[in-house]
Amino acid sequence: MVKRAVLILAVAVLLVAGLAPVAAMFVRSLDVDGQFSLANYESLLVSGRQWTLLANSLALASLTTILALAIGVPLGVLLGRTDLPLRRALAVLFTVPLLVPPYIIAVSWFDVLGPQGFLSQISAVAAEHAAAWLFGLWGNVLVLTSVFTPVVMLLTMVYLKTVNPRLEEAGKLAAGWCRVLWGITLPLVWPGILLAAVLVFLLAFGELGVPMFLRFSVFPVESFTQFTAFYNFGAATAAAAPMAGVTLLVFALERALVHQGTVHIRFAPQGDAASVIRLGRYRRPLGLAAIALCFLMVAAPLVALVARSMSVGAYAEAFAKAGDSLVRSIEYAALGASLLAILGFLLGYMIQDRALKGWPTVDWLTIFLFALPGSVIGIGLISLWNRPATNFVYGSFLIILLGYVAQYAGVTSRITAAILGEIPPSMEEAAQLAGARWPRRVLLITAPIARRGLVGAWLGGYIFCLRDVGISIMVYPPGQDTLPVRILTRMANGTPELIAALCVVMVLCALVPLAVLGLLLKWRGTAR
Amino acid sequence: MKRLLAIMVGTLAGLVFAGCSSQPSAEEVVVYVSEDQVFSEPILKDFEAATGIHVKAVYDTEEAKSTGAMNRLIAEKDNPQADVYWANEPIRAEVLKQKGIAAPCASPNAAGIPDQFKDPQGCWTGFSARARVLVVGKNVKAPPSSILDYTDPRWKGRGVIANPLFGTTTSQVAALFTLWGDEKAKDFMVRMKANGTELSTSNGESADLVAAGNFDFSLVDSDDVVNRMKQGRPVAMIYPDQRGDEVGCMIVPNAVVLIKGAPHPASAKRLIDFLLSKETERKLAFAECAQIPLHAGVETPPEVKPIEGLKTMRINYAEVARKMQDIQPFLKEWAGL
Repeated sequence: MVKRAVLILAVAVLLVAGLAPVAAMFVRSLDVDGQFSLANYESLLVSGRQWTLLANSLALASLTTILALAIGVPLGVLLGRTDLPLRRALAVLFTVPLLVPPYIIAVSWFDVLGPQGFLSQISAVAAEHAAAWLFGLWGNVLVLTSVFTPVVMLLTMVYLKTVNPRLEEAGKLAAGWCRVLWGITLPLVWPGILLAAVLVFLLAFGELGVPMFLRFSVFPVESFTQFTAFYNFGAATAAAAPMAGVTLLVFALERALVHQGTVHIRFAPQGDAASVIRLGRYRRPLGLAAIALCFLMVAAPLVALVARSMSVGAYAEAFAKAGDSLVRSIEYAALGASLLAILGFLLGYMIQDRALKGWPTVDWLTIFLFALPGSVIGIGLISLWNRPATNFVYGSFLIILLGYVAQYAGVTSRITAAILGEIPPSMEEAAQLAGARWPRRVLLITAPIARRGLVGAWLGGYIFCLRDVGISIMVYPPGQDTLPVRILTRMANGTPELIAALCVVMVLCALVPLAVLGLLLKWRGTAR
Repeated sequence: MKRLLAIMVGTLAGLVFAGCSSQPSAEEVVVYVSEDQVFSEPILKDFEAATGIHVKAVYDTEEAKSTGAMNRLIAEKDNPQADVYWANEPIRAEVLKQKGIAAPCASPNAAGIPDQFKDPQGCWTGFSARARVLVVGKNVKAPPSSILDYTDPRWKGRGVIANPLFGTTTSQVAALFTLWGDEKAKDFMVRMKANGTELSTSNGESADLVAAGNFDFSLVDSDDVVNRMKQGRPVAMIYPDQRGDEVGCMIVPNAVVLIKGAPHPASAKRLIDFLLSKETERKLAFAECAQIPLHAGVETPPEVKPIEGLKTMRINYAEVARKMQDIQPFLKEWAGL
């Protein structure tokens, strides 16, 4: 009874924070000049341009997903299971682009390949071709691939830990590592790779900042244009409708492929450490290849960014002009991540345990909200919460937290659902037989066992909240902007050195909690 | 686990306390700003220092296509949070007036500003303007001097213009529609496109493309050119259409709006007076944005031409705002969006 009530409460929070604003926008989109009308949706079907947008969006998301998988899975294996030199440092470096708003990575690439970029100092002709290329489909694919490959890499690394080493050892009796990886390991981590593919596809499909900066017409840009050029909230909501269709298709495809509705991780039994793959004579060449790839995908744009920020006083000016935003960003992200970790735990529990009837709908809803443009959720939140009675929410940082919960619940619920799949149901069942009630079972058994997953969910939530622009720019209370918003508003006519310094601070901001966590884990390991 | 929970709860409580602990000021004003933060923030800080009124701002930029401020003002219409809107062009202020979001406000400092740059009902007042000018490459011989040069075969493929769906380029095109009539203006746009004019994402990018030598000229805002000139880029600024029978140069003033139902009306009026003062116009003239004062007799740097020395386009901003909405389908088709 308590379990059901708590899970229903969690679903209610999601409905209030996420579904209600979107529903408010949907209702508004059916109102044209005070009359019920489907005109906003009809224009989607009759305009040939919509098909072009759909083709562009699908091409961008598909190519990004394919490339991210092609690079991320081998990287995940190399960094997660082999004796590759510098693998820990490389894993951190490859993760950096995921930690910052994608438009910052686009700006970094512009600093390298743009008309006044570093390449232009080497060859003006090459720079001209590179700039033209950057402002097209493949330029967008390049930027988004460098941003989202870490999703695939990290999930591959995590899921590799779930493979029972005894199976691989048995395989090795009859074959080499290559065949074992191909025939045993990769099929076992397939759900993780599929989850990564779904996330990358949806993130690329819903991305606004990069295609807008690099002038590539996709659905999120169209929805944004409806807001900005026409102030037409109804048409903007309608322009986001294809997102619902695509997320539904992707969700159905994922469920059909995994067969089980959600992904299960079974960590290797305690004490059975997975054996490290010795690369032998390939160790050095593969290490060099990984370093070269890291330089091309991550280091080149970041070095360009850091180099540009290296001017006298740029960092002092950055802290003077955006120090308050920096502190707020960390506070809001930490609060948002904590809320998301709790909500994600409960929703993940419900999805994993199939505890309520409508769990597939809730699962889809979180993914759908994750893929929606922030502007749609933002305007929906304003429509719903900007009332005298709820000014205490709308006029404070609580409105930003609601936005975070709406958009990113899918991240923490999916991570938690996957981690909870690791825990055998028999543990809770045994406690139940001993007379422990559900809250005690969850607090004293399930949550402690899943604590690493919960920390992972918190970190995932923190990073997504920290880098958020779409929601924050629409609803932040006056005088309480976040650092990504401050960077965006200072980009117009701000000095390139200051902008670069702010971007570097943003990267550091995202890395600090990861570094602290790493040190804590190391310290606890040493203490034991 | 209990310890972990205690740490989490403690951290949350601390953060909530930190988030809530900012003391509300006795006097404050909430302003939504579409002028670039780089230029507007120092002015608002000066206002705080001069009056002791705490300013809470929501900034927005032309580069971000002003999505935040305008959309928020429209969405918040029934329960306004803002007191003042500092628009970077009067068209946005006009849209607010037409949507019933702007309130009349008579500032004594508006007296010296020409009527052409004020709403007759006092719902918005212009100050410190940009001019729509041609940025041309320093090496271009006999450079263009009129916007009609976009259709001249001599400049085929050498001109670039910002996407007319956004910002001041939309206003300029709409202004031409009001001056010339639909038929002539559409013909101009079609011929401009046929003459190989390229589209850029923003005026800033247009200026960069000209500075890099990719194009010979572009129609942009005066601050975009002054900015590049101060960076030492090889560009020059030309005020277009200054001859007798030509349309003149379009002036794009900032505009300040009192929001209907503003929560802090007294502070809002003081801020409006401050923004419309000669001193603010002087500061914005000497700032990097190099804006043209609309009051007569305000000191300006050499690169800022006084408003009296320019042949300006005679337009009705309200009419331009209405026309802007009408021509959006045409512009969308023209831009291929």
